[in-house]
Amino acid sequence: MDEKIKILYVDDEPGNLIGFKASFRVDFHVLTAVNIPQAINYLENNPDIKIIFCDQRMPGKTGVDFFEEIRISHPLPVRILLTAYTDVESIIEAINRGNIFRYVKKPWAEADILSSIDEANKFYTANSMLMVKNDELQKAYAELTKFAYSVSHDIRGPLSGMLGAINLAGEIDDIEEIKEMLFLMGKSLTKLDTYILSMHDYYSLQRGELKITDIDFNKIIDDLKPMYMVISKSSKIAFTTTVDQREVFRSDEVPLRLILNNLLSNAFKYQDKQSTNKSVEVSIEVHKNQAIIYVKDTGIGILGNHIGEIFDLFYRANFQEAGSGFGLYNVKSAILKLSGNIEVNSVLHKGTTFKIIIPSI
Amino acid sequence: MDKEYSFIIVDDSELDCFVIQKVIERAFKNPDIVSFQNANHALDAIKEQGVKTNPAIILLDIQMPLMNGFQFIEEFEQFSPQIQDCYTVIILSILSSTRAPADIHTEFNKRIVGSIIEKPFTIEKLLALLKKMGLADEKTVLSRKKFLPE
Repeated sequence: MDEKIKILYVDDEPGNLIGFKASFRVDFHVLTAVNIPQAINYLENNPDIKIIFCDQRMPGKTGVDFFEEIRISHPLPVRILLTAYTDVESIIEAINRGNIFRYVKKPWAEADILSSIDEANKFYTANSMLMVKNDELQKAYAELTKFAYSVSHDIRGPLSGMLGAINLAGEIDDIEEIKEMLFLMGKSLTKLDTYILSMHDYYSLQRGELKITDIDFNKIIDDLKPMYMVISKSSKIAFTTTVDQREVFRSDEVPLRLILNNLLSNAFKYQDKQSTNKSVEVSIEVHKNQAIIYVKDTGIGILGNHIGEIFDLFYRANFQEAGSGFGLYNVKSAILKLSGNIEVNSVLHKGTTFKIIIPSI
Repeated sequence: MDKEYSFIIVDDSELDCFVIQKVIERAFKNPDIVSFQNANHALDAIKEQGVKTNPAIILLDIQMPLMNGFQFIEEFEQFSPQIQDCYTVIILSILSSTRAPADIHTEFNKRIVGSIIEKPFTIEKLLALLKKMGLADEKTVLSRKKFLPE
């Protein structure tokens, strides 16, 4: 066990509290409360309390009252009632109102407490695992719905456009018109291809373990550079790269490349075509166990009210370019996977800067 | 008769705009067609035009970035009734009515949205629809058919 199980014991007799703590403090992290307000205070400040033992007979509220109260506000900790009175009525009440997990008779035997802690901990773990799985499932379902919708549009869209074009082609005699149409068909197909490639990235990011290796940013940039130099030359976009890495950096290279590739391709794609002073800059600095990456462009920028949405799946803030709606979502997923974070700063018609911080693992 | 229809195409796909335009050009003589890849620009143009003398058909794609077809309709509904009456909107959808989410059919104001055409767009689909909507009679439909290959 990495960490001691946190247990809260509530009893109005200080002697019992001391006795309990003395017996279990070595194996568990024991918090004790002499009254209910104090107990609630502990619960507020220690969301990681896993098990609560509570005496039934206390002045004011009973243990069952207390459990009933916290069932809603603090549903996670497993509730165990301690009592010397074992009439059937109070047991029934404890189960029905207090929704207790166990019932331990007072005076307690250490073995009873230990076995109930063990069982309660298993129950707690199973329950929280279930909650995590449930959250994941809900997220997966929400994405699946978006997916189904997007697949119909982004895959069927270009296909139906092509079909329409093919139908029409039979009626067109003008070779220039045919050529124009073929060019547009090519663009449509490229878009579809990008979509499918990004979908592959999406899935590989969602699953799979990290493969941690030593990262040489100089090498990554050297690999990426030739590809972008071609666009840089043909579209007259100045491209500069700086890498300052003097220490070892460990991370997974695949998501790192994906982040850089997506941001760079966006930086080149979303340039202002009319501008005469186009540039893309990438700088990477590895310092004190983290990599700080800037990708800066002099492009069209992002409208302020769209910035919050650019990392959403299938969000597209621009109609002129062939966006799949995957790019920045994948970037964000990759960054989360590497426990990093991303900030974006953008001025419309001036350009966009992405700042990414990734810790060495 | 031929000058009576004018068409506004609102579709983010360049290829679709091109194909729809060519299809219409082949079926109607001297059609008045403008196409927009950005729905915002289409709205601006409609606003600028004001009240028109001849009716226009807006062929509207639903799934578009920035402003989608639904948002376009919402904005369009803000125009004066005189302007709205000059236009009939035909929705272009990737999904047919039977496969489309229910919202496509229920969401739209029937007065503004005439009907839905499932892509790929063909002149047969358009003519059949115009006829159904009472915007073209049997004769028109038949005479247009001549332009189509047998």
